[in-house]
Amino acid sequence: MSQYQIDRVKTGIPGLDELIEGGFPRGDTILIAGKAGTGKSILATQFLYRGAVDYNEPGVLVTLEEPPRLIKRNMMRFGMDLDKLEREGMLSIVDLSPARDTPLNISEYPSFDLSGLEAIIMHHIKKVNAQRVVIDTISILAYKFKARDILREELFKLCAHITSTGCTLLLTSEIPAQDTGLGVFDIEAFLASGVIVLYNEKISDTSRSRSIEVLKLRGSKHSSRIHSMRITDEGIRVWPGEISPGT
Amino acid sequence: MTDTDADSNSDDVGEDTSDKIEVLFFKSDTCAFCPRAEEVLRETLEEFGADMFKVIVYNVSEDPEKAEEYGIFALPAIIIGGMSVTGIPEPEIIMKMILGSKLGTRS
Ligand SMILES: Nc1ncnc2c1ncn2[C@@H]1O[C@H](COP(=O)(O)OP(=O)(O)OP(=O)(O)O)[C@@H](O)[C@H]1O
Ligand SMILES: [Mg+2]
Repeated sequence: MSQYQIDRVKTGIPGLDELIEGGFPRGDTILIAGKAGTGKSILATQFLYRGAVDYNEPGVLVTLEEPPRLIKRNMMRFGMDLDKLEREGMLSIVDLSPARDTPLNISEYPSFDLSGLEAIIMHHIKKVNAQRVVIDTISILAYKFKARDILREELFKLCAHITSTGCTLLLTSEIPAQDTGLGVFDIEAFLASGVIVLYNEKISDTSRSRSIEVLKLRGSKHSSRIHSMRITDEGIRVWPGEISPGT
Repeated sequence: MTDTDADSNSDDVGEDTSDKIEVLFFKSDTCAFCPRAEEVLRETLEEFGADMFKVIVYNVSEDPEKAEEYGIFALPAIIIGGMSVTGIPEPEIIMKMILGSKLGTRS
C-alpha cells in the first residue's frame, strides 16, 4: 500500500480519470497537445466548467486564440453555460485573442520578460480565487515573439508562478499538420509534468476516429495505451476500456 | 515633459495636453530590463523636445488591468500612436514611432 497519496484534481472528462489514477496531480502543469480540431480547446474548457460545477473549484480561462464570444457559443452546444459561471464568480475569462484591437507590435528586442502576461493572469486568479487555470494556446506565443530562448525561460517562470498558488494548470499546444513533435516550441514536453495527446486519425477512406493518449504524468501509474475518445452532446468522453481502432 | 503617474488621475493635469503626443510606458516590479528601457525612452524624447509629449507610466504589478486593456504580454513595452515596441528599444525605433504618430494625426 502506498504511504503517500498525491492529491488529485478530477479532470471533468468522463473516463479520463480512470486512466490516470483518479485525476491530474494538484498544482501540476499539464500539456494538452494535438493537431488542429482534435478537441484541445473543448477538453480544456470542459476541465474548467466541470471543475466549477461539479467540484466547486473556480477557474480562469486565458484565451490567446478564440474570442470568448465564440468559445461560449461552442460550449453552449454541450450545455455548458460559461456566461452563468462568470456571473456566479466561478469563472473568469481573460480575452487576449488577436481579434481585439490592440497596438501593433512593430519591433521586438531580445530584452523582455512575460511579466505583463503574468500580472494579467495572477490578477484573475486572485479575483475568483481560482484553483484551475487554462492557457489556450501557448502556440500563439511562438508566433507573437521571435526570441525563442527568452520565451522558453519565461514560459517556465510563468507556469511555476501560476502553479505556486496551488492552481492546476492546463496548457494547450497545437501540433502543426506535418509535424511529429508536440508543438511549435519543441519544449512543450519539458514544460509540463504531464502530457496528453489528442488524435483524430483517418481510419478508412470515409472515416476518422478520435483518441487520447497519456504520454506522461509525473508520479502516476497511467495507461500506456491509446484510448477511444468522442465529442458527444455533453462534451468530451473517453472510453477507458476501448483501445483506439487506429492503433 | 508632462509626466503623469498612472495611479493619479491623468486628466487632472492642469495644463492643456491635447496637442501632445501620448507615450505609454509599461513596466512591472520584477522587470529587469524596464529601468534601462525607460532611460532610453526619456533620453530620446528629450532630444525631440520633451514638452511635445505626455508620458504615462503604468506599473502592471499595481495595475494589471492596463496590461490587459492594451494586450501587453511582454515588458518593457512602449506604445506610441497605436504602435508598440517590446524590450529595450533603440532610439531610432522610438523616433520612427513618433514620426508615424504625427503623420497619423495629420491625416
Ligand atoms: N457540438 C459538437 N459535436 C461534436 N463535435 C464537435 C462539436 N463542436 C465541435 N466539434 C468538433 O470539435 C472540433 C473542435 O474542437 P476544438 O476547438 O477543441 O479543437 P482544437 O484542438 O482546440 O483545435 P484548434 O487547434 O484549431 O484550436 C471541431 O473540429 C469538431 O470536429
Ligand atoms: Mg483550440
